This record gives sequence, C-alpha cells and structure tokens, in this order.
Amino acid sequence: MAEFLRTLAALALGGLLAVANIGSVSAADERLYPSGPPNGVGYLRFANLTAHEVTVVSASARIALPPSETGRVRRYDPVTPGSELNGTVQEGGKSAPIKVTLTANEFVTVVVTNARDGALSTALLRETPSDFNAAKSSIALYNMDEGCGDARLTAGDKQTPVIGGVAPGASGRRLVNPVDVALAVACSEATQPLAAKLGPLAAGERYSVFIFAPPAMPPQIVALRDESAPLRP
Amino acid sequence: MNAALAGLVVLIIGDSHMVSRDYLITTLHDSLTQQEAVVHSYGMCGTNAGDWVYPTKVSCGRAERHAKAGPIIDRSQRPPSWSIDELIAKHKPNLVVVEMGDTMAGYGQAAIPQAWIYGEIRTLTGKIKAHNLPCVWVGPPWGNEGSSYHKTFARVKEMSQLLSQSVAPCSFIDSTQFSKPGEWPTTDGQHLTSSGYGAWGKGIAASIVQIASQSSAKR
Repeated sequence: MAEFLRTLAALALGGLLAVANIGSVSAADERLYPSGPPNGVGYLRFANLTAHEVTVVSASARIALPPSETGRVRRYDPVTPGSELNGTVQEGGKSAPIKVTLTANEFVTVVVTNARDGALSTALLRETPSDFNAAKSSIALYNMDEGCGDARLTAGDKQTPVIGGVAPGASGRRLVNPVDVALAVACSEATQPLAAKLGPLAAGERYSVFIFAPPAMPPQIVALRDESAPLRP
Repeated sequence: MNAALAGLVVLIIGDSHMVSRDYLITTLHDSLTQQEAVVHSYGMCGTNAGDWVYPTKVSCGRAERHAKAGPIIDRSQRPPSWSIDELIAKHKPNLVVVEMGDTMAGYGQAAIPQAWIYGEIRTLTGKIKAHNLPCVWVGPPWGNEGSSYHKTFARVKEMSQLLSQSVAPCSFIDSTQFSKPGEWPTTDGQHLTSSGYGAWGKGIAASIVQIASQSSAKR
C-alpha cells in the first residue's frame, strides 16, 4: 500500500495530502470532530490489459504491472476528489498520458491497452456505485474487447444470463446472491463462453470481470475480487 | 427482566455517545446489566469503525466501564485507540454491540461518502465475523438540525438506510425508530441530553433483548 500511495501522492501533486488531514480536529473546539473525510473520497486503480508488462510512472515513483492473471489489475486506492491526477504509462519505448480527476464516491479504473498498430493507449472506466450490500455479491463486467459487440456474463451449465448487453468500452454491474457457481463470458450466442474464475462468491464482496483481446491474440478473461486500500490518516 | 441476556458477556464499543458519564456508557450499560448480562463498554470519541482495527490516536477522549463499576473517562491528549481483537480476546464476549454512525455520515458534505463508509463497516464487521461472534450495530439518533456538526434529518435517514444494508452479519438497530425527528433534545445538535440518552439506552437494550430472544428461539 505504501508504495502505491506514494505513487498516487506524486500523481496527485499533493492531492492526497488533503486526505491525510481528515483526522485533524480544530484546536478551538475539541468536541467538534469530522464526520467522514471532509471532501469525500474517490477510488483509483490501474488495469494492464496488454500482452506486456507496463509501468505507471509519476514524478517520484514507478509501478510495474505484469501481464499476469494476478498482477494485471491493482487494488483501488483512495484519492482526493477534485484533484487532477497526472502521470504516464510506459511499455518499452512507448508511453501514454494519464490525466484524471475523480468525483466523490467515484471508482475509476485506468485501463491500459494496445491498439492494433501496437500503440499504447489508456481508457477510463468510471462508475459511481450505489449498490453496497453486505448480504449480496456485486459483479461488474467490463468489455474491453473491440471484437466483442455484445458481452454477456452467464452462470452455470445452462448459461443463465447474469449481465448482458455490454458494448465494447462499456461495463455492466449486478447484485447477485453469494453462491458458488461457474461463471463465463460470451460475446454472442454463437461463441464459446470463456470461464471467469471468481471462485465461491462471498457476501458483501465486489468483483470485476474483464474481457479483452490484445492485438493478434484471442479474447482473454481476467476475473478478481475487488480490493481497496484503507484510508488512514 | 427477560432471561435472554442472563449470564451473557456483552462487549459494547462506540463513539462519543459512549464517552461522557450520562451517555450510553451509563444508560445502555445499566439497561443491559439489569438484564443480568455482564457488560464491558468502551467508547472512543470521534473515531470511525476502522479505528477499532487500525491503531490510531483518539482525538477527543475515550471511556470504559466494566460490569457494575462506574465509568472511567479519559480526557488525556490523544490516547491510543483500543483494538477490537484485543478487547474480544480480553473479555471473551458472547455478543458484540457496535454503536456508530455519526462520525462517518459525512454531515456537511453534499453526498454521503457511501463507498468509504461501507469499507469502514466491512473492516470492523470482518474482524467480528472472524471471531465467529454474533453482533448488533446501533445506528445514530435523529439529533437536531442547524448545529456546527451540520447534522440533518435527511442525512441521518440516508445513513441509517446505508447501515441497514451494510452491517451484516450484524443485526441492525435503527435508532431513528425510537423517536420523531428532533423529539430528543440535544446539547449541541449531536449529543443528547440525559433524558434522551436514557430513552435511547432503553430502546437499544429492548431491541437487543428482542434480537437475542429470537436467536435463542431459532437455536
């Protein structure tokens, strides 16, 4: 966490310093205390959906994102809403800029992909969820495969629809019961579903499923339980 | 008296509503003790749910009370926080009661910080769940509007709704059901007068007895 927060602090150009002060209490009135972070909180993470390792670079830190199932998607880190975050993502000699400002309660995933000509590019997946529920599981399907016109998340051998109609560059989300069921992603009725291995769904947890296809490669799935770093002063 | 709590060890943790002598550390503690529970109460003023998991300094006082002894109020400068793991290990409770909401509801902010609140709650309930203990979460009372705490009835309602869907596996006690908005007077918009803490403590205790009775019946 410390490594990533340092990076974000650098990216935010001091934006996190404001968050770090949330616990302070006015010396003039000791009984007054804050009720939550004064400016709210946004959450930012990075996802490497290329076939190569990429590096997120800020003025003072570098974070490598390997192209592995467990390393592609970072956990969310809390950031100060309203502060512009700047940086670059690099792969070999190629780079792409990162520039994003979050709003309160917003979750943003900076997705890194390769275009067909190999150029590095970033896209922002933005969401302000309101489905927090400790008795259910929340699953999001992110379609980052340009060749997948209609992504669907299905459950079980009967391919029961869970999330459907997700266009390229878009996402869908649904609350489901916390069950142990085989999930898969399909792009149309005709294509063979690809397994999305989340394991047994746990109550109260949130999950992400990405479908993506690096240039000249078949579609792939990365599926994970979302994690967030705690906001501590 | 209802026998549902007789002999049970109850651990109560909470925020500033537990940190002064006439607050819940007296009224709720006494009400549960009258039900023959052995009660251990802890309050940390100005703290969030996660502060019972991640060590911090307490900004505006803390208090504790054990069984039939009186409350011990600590107003020293920034004493260390208590850890839920350590308190559970020390007292080996049969039931954990969490009283918390006002310190997290984002009073004065345009939007309730629901993602952050959910994370704070899950941090604490996850620890309680890991000990396999039943728990009850008590939401905030209405309070009064127009104070320097910027508490509003609308936000209390919003916070209570968010808590109701976020505190599982804990049971939720909605404190707004005990009174009408503004019915219980406050000293500063947020903290109740003695009569309010008396009514709130009795209301919470009655709800806990009801929850415990239902749990016993299921077993």
